[in-house]
Amino acid sequence: MKRNEYDVIIVGGGITGAGTARDCAMRGLRVLLIERHDIATGATGRNHGLLHSGARYAVTDQESASECIRENMILRQIASHCVDETDGFFITLPEDDLNYQAKFVESCLAAGINAEIVDPKEALRMEPSMNPDLIGAVKVPDGSVDPFRLCAANMLDAKLHGAQVLLYTEVTGFIKEGDRIQGIRTYNHQTHKSGEYYAPITVNAAGIWGQHIAELAGVKIGMFPAKGALLIFAHRVNGIVINRCRKPANADILVPGDTVCVIGTTSTKIPFEECDNVKVTPDEVNLLIEEGAKLAPALASTRILRAYAGVRPLVSADNDPSGRNISRGIVCLDHETRDGLKGFITITGGKLMTYRLMAEMATDLVCRKLAVDKACATAETPLPGSGGKSFREVAEKIWENPTTVQKAAVGRLGMAAERMQSSDSVSQSLVCECEEVSVGEINSAIERLDVNGLTDLRRRTRVGMGTCQGELCGCRAAGLLAKAHGCADRAREDLKDFMTERWKGMYPIGWGDALREAEYTQWVYKHVLGV
Amino acid sequence: MRFDTVIIGGGLAGLTAGISLQEAGQKVAIVSAGQNAMHFFSGNFEEIGTARERVSALFASAGVRTHSSDGWMLMPMGSMREVSLTLDDVAVFPDKHVAEKALIVNYTGFHDFYGTFLAEALEKNGTTCRIRFVRIPEMEHLRLSPSEMRSVNIARVMDEHWEKVVSDIRVLLKDEDLILLPQVFGLKDLSVLDKIRTAFPARVAFIGTMPPSVPGIRTQMLLKRRFEVLGGTFLMGDEVTSAAMHEGIVSSVTTRNLDTARLFADHFILATGGYFSKGLVSTPTLVNEPLFGLDIDYPEDRNAWYDPDFFADQPYLNFGVKTDESLRAVKDGVPLQNLYAIGSILGNTRKADYGSAAGLAIRTAFAVADTIKGGNV
Repeated sequence: MKRNEYDVIIVGGGITGAGTARDCAMRGLRVLLIERHDIATGATGRNHGLLHSGARYAVTDQESASECIRENMILRQIASHCVDETDGFFITLPEDDLNYQAKFVESCLAAGINAEIVDPKEALRMEPSMNPDLIGAVKVPDGSVDPFRLCAANMLDAKLHGAQVLLYTEVTGFIKEGDRIQGIRTYNHQTHKSGEYYAPITVNAAGIWGQHIAELAGVKIGMFPAKGALLIFAHRVNGIVINRCRKPANADILVPGDTVCVIGTTSTKIPFEECDNVKVTPDEVNLLIEEGAKLAPALASTRILRAYAGVRPLVSADNDPSGRNISRGIVCLDHETRDGLKGFITITGGKLMTYRLMAEMATDLVCRKLAVDKACATAETPLPGSGGKSFREVAEKIWENPTTVQKAAVGRLGMAAERMQSSDSVSQSLVCECEEVSVGEINSAIERLDVNGLTDLRRRTRVGMGTCQGELCGCRAAGLLAKAHGCADRAREDLKDFMTERWKGMYPIGWGDALREAEYTQWVYKHVLGV
Repeated sequence: MRFDTVIIGGGLAGLTAGISLQEAGQKVAIVSAGQNAMHFFSGNFEEIGTARERVSALFASAGVRTHSSDGWMLMPMGSMREVSLTLDDVAVFPDKHVAEKALIVNYTGFHDFYGTFLAEALEKNGTTCRIRFVRIPEMEHLRLSPSEMRSVNIARVMDEHWEKVVSDIRVLLKDEDLILLPQVFGLKDLSVLDKIRTAFPARVAFIGTMPPSVPGIRTQMLLKRRFEVLGGTFLMGDEVTSAAMHEGIVSSVTTRNLDTARLFADHFILATGGYFSKGLVSTPTLVNEPLFGLDIDYPEDRNAWYDPDFFADQPYLNFGVKTDESLRAVKDGVPLQNLYAIGSILGNTRKADYGSAAGLAIRTAFAVADTIKGGNV
C-alpha cells in the first residue's frame, strides 16, 4: 500500500461529511476526511438547531416529511446528548387561515408524524411565551439539536473507527487518470504544505462549496446558494419549539437551545462569491424581530445576542441549469453514470435532520463501487456521549454528587464528560461563566477534539456563546490554549480573530444592551489588556 | 436640598469635578449609581496632557499615589504602552527591556492573569522568564464556588494574608532581578504595595488583570472619601429620575431614593458616562441621552454606526452629547445655561480639545470646575 492511500476520501467537515466518514469507517473502510476550515463551519453550524419532526414539510413535501420523522426518532436514540426533546407547536394566529390546520394535521399523520390538535388555552398553559391571540395549536414531536455537538460526536466516532481527519486542509485539485478520479491534491493552511492523497472513491460532501469541488473534478452541479439569516436571543424565552401553522415562510420558527432561543429564517438568493462571507442586513434583522414577536411577543423586548446567517446548499434536482426545479431533498449523484467520471460521488441537498440518511446513501454507493458487502449500522449504534435519558441521570451515573458545572458539561458532552477532568477544584473553576464551561472541560476538548484555536473551541464547548460573547472567557481560554500549545503568540493572534468573529455577529444587532456590552468589551481589549 | 453644584455620576470625571469644586469652597452633591468605569481602569491616565501635575496633586490629597514620568507600561497580554502618568500600582519601565531575568508569580487557578503571554513577550525583549504558582490555605474557600477566583475576591484575602504569599515567593526567587505579580494587592491598604516592594532584593512590578481592577476600585474609594472629608454629599446607589428645566436653566433634579425631595443647585454637571454606564442609550433607530434629552450627533443609518473590524476605531464611540465651547450641554440646538457635560458621555466629540479615556474625564472635569468657579485655576 502506498502512503496516503485510503479506500475513500470525503471532502467536507460538516455534518454530512462527518456522518459519511463515520458510516464508511464503521463498515470497515479506510477513511480520510478533508476539511478546509474547522468542523461545522458551513451550514451545519449556521441553522436553527431544530430537530424537525417533519411537520413543516408535511403539506408541501411528504417525502421530506417522512424522512425527517424517521431520522428524528433515530437521533433521539443515537445522539441523546445532542437532542433536547422539547416538542413543538404549530400555532394559527388570527391573520392565518384556520382551515389550513386540518390539512396540516392530515398530512402529518400521513407522513407518520404524531400531530395532535391542542386547545389554544391549554397550549398557552404549556408554552406561556406564545402569542396569546392564537386561535389554533397543533403539537408535534419537534425538538432541538446541537449541530456542533452532533458533528463533533460523528467526527470523534469516525476517528474511533480508524478514520483520519485533516482539518484546515483545502482540496486544490484532483489526481485523474483517464476518466477516473484517483485522489486529491491539498494545501494545508496551517503548515502551508501541499499534499497528495489517493483513494478509488472521493465523496464530495462540501455543501454549497460542493459546486466548486465538482468543478475541480471536471463536472458540473447546478447549485443555488440561499442565505438564511437568524437571531439568537439571550434567554430561553420558550421551552417548546414554536412554528406558524401555514405554508413555510420567513421567520416562522422559534427554537429553544441550551440557554438561548433562535428565530429564523429568511431566504435570499446570493451570488457564490458571498458564500464565504455572508452578512446579515438591518432589514433582515428588523424582519426577524417583527415576525418573531408574532410567535412570542416577549421577543420584541428581549436582548439579542447576535445575528448570523448560513447558506443552504440547494440543488436543481435534474440537470436543469435554470433552477426551476430546486429540491430541498437529498441529492446523491453518481458521477460515473451521470457524467462518465469514475470514482467521484456527490452527496448534497438534504438537511441537518437527514444527515445520517444522506451518509447512509452515500456510503451504500461507495460500498457498491468497492464491492464491500456490509450493512449500515449507524441508525442503531449510539454516538460517543449518547446514553441515558436526562443529563441529571447521566451525571449521576458518572459522579456520586454531580456539581452544577459537571451537570452543564454532561449537557454538552453526555457520557463523554466522564473523561473530563473535574475531580479537583482547579479543574472545576469556570472559564466561561455564561455557559458554565470549566477548565477541565476546555482542557479535555483541547486534548481530544482537534482544537486549533478559540473558534474551534467554541464549536466544541460553547465558550463565548453566552451573554458576554467572549469578552472574559476568550482571554481565559486563550491562556489555557497558550499553555497547551506552548505558544502565546499564536493564542494572542487567535484571540484577535475570535473577537473579530464574535463582533461580526454583534454589530448587526448593536443597540441597547448589546452595544453596552460591546463598548465594555472594546474598552477592556484596547485599554486594559492592550491587545 | 440646596447645593451650589449637583454632579450626576460618581466616576472619574464626576469625582474629579466634585473634589475640585468642594476644595474651592462649594457645596457639592454627587449622585452615583454605583459601579462605573473606574472598576475597569487600567491605571494609565491616557491623554492626560497638561493636566498631569494638577491631577497628581489632587489625587495626592486624596491619598492616591500616582507615578508621573514618561516610560513604558507592561500591559497584561505582554505589549508595552507609552505612558506619562499612571497609578502607583502600575509598573513603568524606562525601556522595553524590563529586566535580565523575571519571575512571574500567579495564584494557582487564577485565570485572569496571563503569565504565559507576559513571558513570551518579555523573552522577545531579552528577559528570561520563569512562571511559578503559589497557593495559601486561607484562599482555598474561594474555590468552593467555581466562579469566585476573581481579582477583587483574591485581593480581599491578600489584604489579610499577603505576608504568607511574600514568604512563599522568597522561597521561589532565585537570581531574578524582577518579580511580576498580578494587581491583587492593597485593595484596602495602599501601604501593602510598598511593603511587598521592599521585601525582596529584586524589583517588584504589579501587572493588570481582567476586570474588576483592584487599583481602580481602591482609587474610586479614596476619591470618594476625599470628597466626603471635604464636606461633599455622595449619594451612593442612587439615580436621577427627572429634571426640572425652564427657559434653558435646570433648577432641580429628583432621585429614586430621595423620592419627592428635590436637589436644587446653581450648576449641574452630567457625568453619567457612555453606553455601558447608560449615560447614552441606544435603540435600533436612535441614540439618546435619557435624563435631559440632549442633542447627540449621529447618522440615522445604523450601518454607519460600526466598523466591521472589532479593533478599529468604532464610529459609535464618537457619538456624544453636543456642547458649546464651555462644555455646556446643547438641547434642541441651544446650550443650556447651567448644565455641563463631562467625561465619556461626550464620546469623542471633544477629542481634539480634551483627548479621550481618562484624559477626557479629568480634563473636562477641570475645565468645567474652573468655569463654575469663575475662571480661577
